Amino acid sequence: MTSAAANPAGETAAVDPILASVIQRRLKSITEEMGLTLLRTTRSPILNEARDFVTGLYDANGDMLEQTEYIPVLAFALQPACKQVISFFGDDIHPGDVILHNDVFSGGNQNNDVAVFRPVFCGETLVAWSACKGHQADIGGAVAGGYNPEAREVWQEALRIPPLKIYDRGTLRRDVWGMVFANIRYPIVQEDIRAQIGGTVVGERGVRELVDRYGLASFLAHKDYLFDRTEAMVAAEIAGIPDGVYKGQSTVYYDGVTDGSEMLINLAVTVAGDAVTFDFTGTAPQTPGFVNAPFSATASALMLTFLMLINPDIPHNAGLLRRVKIVNPEGSFLNAAFPAATTFGNSITGPTSDAIFRAFADALPHMVSAGWNRSLNIGITGHDPRRDRPFVDILFLALKGGSGATWQADGYDHIGLINCAGGILAQDYEMFEIQNPVRLVRHEYDPDSAGAGRWRGGVGTETEFRIEGEKVTAVAFGDGVEEGARAFGLFGGQDGSLNTAVFRQPDGIERVPKTKQIVRDIPGGTVFVQKAGGGGGYGDPNERPPEAVLDDVRNGMVSVEAARRAYGVVIDAETLTVDEAATREARGQA
Amino acid sequence: MGYAIGIDVGGTFTDFLLLDDAGEGRIFKVLSTPDDPSDAVVAGLEEMAAADGLSLTAFLGAVGRIVHGTTVTTNAVLTGNTVRTGLLATRGFRDALQMRRGIREKLYDNKFLAPVPVVPRWLRLPVTERIDETGAEIEPLNLGDVDAAIDAFEEAGVEAVAVCFMHAYANPEHERAALDRLRARMPDAYVSASSDVLPQVRFYERTSTTVLNVAVGPILKRYLDRLTGRLAENGFGGTLLIMQSNGGVTTPEVATGLAASTLLSGPAAGPIAGRALAEKHGRDSFITIDMGGTSFEASMVRGGAPAITTSASVNRFAMALPTADIKTIGAGGGSIAWIDGGGLLRMGPQSAGAKPGPACYGLGGEAPTCSDANLVLGYLSAGYFAGGRITLDTGRAEGAIRAAVAEPLGMSLVEAAAGMYRVMNVNMASAIREISVERGYDPRDFPLICAGGAGAIHAAMIARELGIGEIVVPREASIFCASGMMQTDLRHDYVRSCAASLTAEGLDPGRFSGLWQAMAEEGRLTLTAEGVGADRQRFVPALDLRYQGQYHEVRVEDVPQAAIDGFDLDVIANLFHAAHDRLYGYSLQEEGTGIELVNLRLTAFGVTDKPGSSPEPEAGDDPSAARKGRRPVYLADLGDFADIDVFDGDLLRHGNRLDGPAIVETVVTTIFVPPGFGLSVDAWRNCILTDGGAA
Repeated sequence: MTSAAANPAGETAAVDPILASVIQRRLKSITEEMGLTLLRTTRSPILNEARDFVTGLYDANGDMLEQTEYIPVLAFALQPACKQVISFFGDDIHPGDVILHNDVFSGGNQNNDVAVFRPVFCGETLVAWSACKGHQADIGGAVAGGYNPEAREVWQEALRIPPLKIYDRGTLRRDVWGMVFANIRYPIVQEDIRAQIGGTVVGERGVRELVDRYGLASFLAHKDYLFDRTEAMVAAEIAGIPDGVYKGQSTVYYDGVTDGSEMLINLAVTVAGDAVTFDFTGTAPQTPGFVNAPFSATASALMLTFLMLINPDIPHNAGLLRRVKIVNPEGSFLNAAFPAATTFGNSITGPTSDAIFRAFADALPHMVSAGWNRSLNIGITGHDPRRDRPFVDILFLALKGGSGATWQADGYDHIGLINCAGGILAQDYEMFEIQNPVRLVRHEYDPDSAGAGRWRGGVGTETEFRIEGEKVTAVAFGDGVEEGARAFGLFGGQDGSLNTAVFRQPDGIERVPKTKQIVRDIPGGTVFVQKAGGGGGYGDPNERPPEAVLDDVRNGMVSVEAARRAYGVVIDAETLTVDEAATREARGQA
Repeated sequence: MGYAIGIDVGGTFTDFLLLDDAGEGRIFKVLSTPDDPSDAVVAGLEEMAAADGLSLTAFLGAVGRIVHGTTVTTNAVLTGNTVRTGLLATRGFRDALQMRRGIREKLYDNKFLAPVPVVPRWLRLPVTERIDETGAEIEPLNLGDVDAAIDAFEEAGVEAVAVCFMHAYANPEHERAALDRLRARMPDAYVSASSDVLPQVRFYERTSTTVLNVAVGPILKRYLDRLTGRLAENGFGGTLLIMQSNGGVTTPEVATGLAASTLLSGPAAGPIAGRALAEKHGRDSFITIDMGGTSFEASMVRGGAPAITTSASVNRFAMALPTADIKTIGAGGGSIAWIDGGGLLRMGPQSAGAKPGPACYGLGGEAPTCSDANLVLGYLSAGYFAGGRITLDTGRAEGAIRAAVAEPLGMSLVEAAAGMYRVMNVNMASAIREISVERGYDPRDFPLICAGGAGAIHAAMIARELGIGEIVVPREASIFCASGMMQTDLRHDYVRSCAASLTAEGLDPGRFSGLWQAMAEEGRLTLTAEGVGADRQRFVPALDLRYQGQYHEVRVEDVPQAAIDGFDLDVIANLFHAAHDRLYGYSLQEEGTGIELVNLRLTAFGVTDKPGSSPEPEAGDDPSAARKGRRPVYLADLGDFADIDVFDGDLLRHGNRLDGPAIVETVVTTIFVPPGFGLSVDAWRNCILTDGGAA
């Protein structure tokens, strides 16, 4: 194998800025074609309904060329693993190889997120990697579905897959395949990995056409140019932030082991010229349970929040990271050391984002958002008697709360966890009942859940369904039920509502899951009710136009009482009109 | 049959194609009148009557058929001017419409707001009732809730109501009963049930489509009532047909009943126009592109059948009725050039539009546009734009490009203009890739049919970008959709959910054939009511299938009727495996994975008479009679200008051939023939460009 980076032909290609635009567009559309393949062919609703996957192309060094992430928390989940794959196999990489990977201690971000890498060769030369990563319905370990609040080390969570060839020069290694899937519960995971492999074929095809078209030397020169241009755009954005050291903190509640435990995130951001450093020194040590993040998960959380603070149109490639330095000492719960359990890591994104928004609140007041609802995720597994087969799903429809408001924009209703930022879809109700043995009773906006503000937070939801399956187990892996975990308001805006969840059994027993807990032996006929909280408000609620408050009242998003209490807008419940004099008085404007 | 007329209402112009008995066409254009689009229609008809020295009444008396494409429904949704609409939903699920399953299309943009729902929450009212996924009743319908909702709707002045109940596709009885009550108590309201509009699983899509249908129903009805009234008053006794989003036409009565079927009908006639043209050359598969001032549309036709999608949207709300699969991007003559923060040149999607327009129009536009680049590069002629009716200002174009592109990038004026031209071509080529490569087809297998005033300057270079060797520039390029309308059939699409495994044990043959028969009967009734005789009725089946456990279906078309009638599931399975392999790079035929049936679909066609003009006799290959001079034009391969021949396209005749580099100008369009391409003129005076020389 020869490395493309060395440019073996020794050719030099002049950079044509126009051709750079052409190549960037083409790379982006290849990753979109790969995504479409996964969307349409995978089995697990977590992939094709919730879209919990990413497709991307990386250069021969593993640096990101282009990527299409359907949810932001996967935005930086492939590059570190790609680099690990490259360093592990060295020269032993050949056309037709396909490599699996999930290991969080070699660049992975979450055990369930399994990556497929395919090297792309032009002749003898490795020019790129075509890759995709998706959240699998199961990955072995002690608990179906992978979320195991009882885990104390990685082996209780998952089958670890360090860089592993499943195809060698185009030939399936049947023994290896068999070994992997002998340790995973559901047969659909095999099918979904096949779909991911199909996605990498689409990517390989696209890159080869591109290199054939413009020549290798030109492709490489323009790739480097594109990295440089993205770096320049990021540098310009950072340069626009006043220099200084900005501090922000937030707290994660309950480590799944000790009641009342709290973990502090301590962040200092240093903006110096056109570079920025995020320093997590002083963050709480790693926990004994699974409330820990691998480095990649924390880096993704950081970058997705950072991207929300700058120009959203910057092409996403390896150049994005060059002006961003991350100091995240090993041993903290944001960079847990081997062999920690870490499946909760992606779910720490919300608190990490909170710390970043708080840090930048004074420096970028028109870009930061108030707090997003921290998600209370619940997965259910069991047996579907209607079709005599197992079912597994994550209750995305129930967990999607409101986002934080920002300058000139209300929060987004029912958008859900910031990790996914509206990229993850709630289940369609009818498909949800067809795929799982449940009967939905209600899925509606939850009035008065949004934090009041000049711009209010996004509205949360209330979900109720009856469980009709057998051997049903639920796993809670979430946050947002303690007072301090409310979606925070900014600049006078108020906090959003909290999450709640309860299982009401037919025998009258009510089981309220802790935020990290396995709930076993849920009997058929149990009614599940979950509220996903609202987002935080931005700015003084007294400055919200009374008509906007009236509109929310008419639509049942805000009650008449809350309109008066939180916004100082006095509304006649019968006529649905604003009492202007009383409103002026309530707002102290008399 | 007398005259036939195609009428396409666009944003700026209303286009008319008038065909006489012999199939000879004439083009008319009048300014659109958005307040009442029928004003422009009548104005155009008057202009056509005058051109033939007839009174409007005498003229309309001689018109046998009018095919009309209208955007009144589309505009109503896009501008938020739908009628006040109510929704009756199963209790607990009224918010599905507004939630849109919780998607935010821009992941990192926290200021990106959700679209305003067509029905506000206070008019989305709950009804206690419940059906499950097998169609069994879990909870009876509470008509008291329906009555209470009707009281609220009447007080609010609601004009249209959608009824959307859970799993109504599996059992429509509750929806029917609620609909009956609505009709009895609100006889003037426009009402629809989801099980009639789109009887298929997925609550959000079905609800959104049904809501859109009723919200625009009264608007379409008012418009068509007014139009048919004005036509009748003025002596029209022929047939009026309305263009639908599925690429077919229907009568005003049927269109009014399913108003959402017109929501994306604007560009839907383009592929049909392409088909008529391709047939003349013995082709049935091609790509059509249409480049105007602000937008560029691309679609693919395979085997004579325009591609259809069921995942369209209007204003970010799902519209799941079968719709011509047309990719629209913001790329046109008015597309503005800009430099992004990283120094990359971008074109559009912002457009200078008609006002202030490209800098070269001299109407106040200062931003450099695609048209400005085309002028600087010599593709457009300053003195012969729109046949010389508009004089272009080269100095303004140069100034705009220099200031906003050349100087910031440190390039010469010409390098900058050439870059703009090239980025435009790449953007348009990407859109074509989306409708071909992403659907599993190689664009090189398809000739490009290029419509729109601005398209033919770019077509050859777009074709090169994609490896396409043949381009057809129709004579009627500037009114492509209006011409396509004359070639459409009546078309109605039906769907039935039929969840079962595709095996003799899993699928009841009686149910299978019963559902087909029910759809065929519905189609027969509708077509017969439209006056289509049995000999002109055609029925085309399709099935939505997926591998066991997959979530999304693959539409399997081209199913032999015999396989359906004979319950030959192997034939159907093999077609599915092949389609899956083509689309996604693999099939699971060898693994023996089970196949699940999801939906049955039937399309009913009423075949219309297609006007056809007679071919012209050959006039020899020498084009010199049309040569009108030479001018310097930028050639990318040369990296410089060269003096090349300019031809008057209106003087080219059947059989004429020429080789690039050359420019061919007509009153309404300009064709750039790059070096290496040849151009020949066919018997209907369409221009055929061939990479590698004139065919």
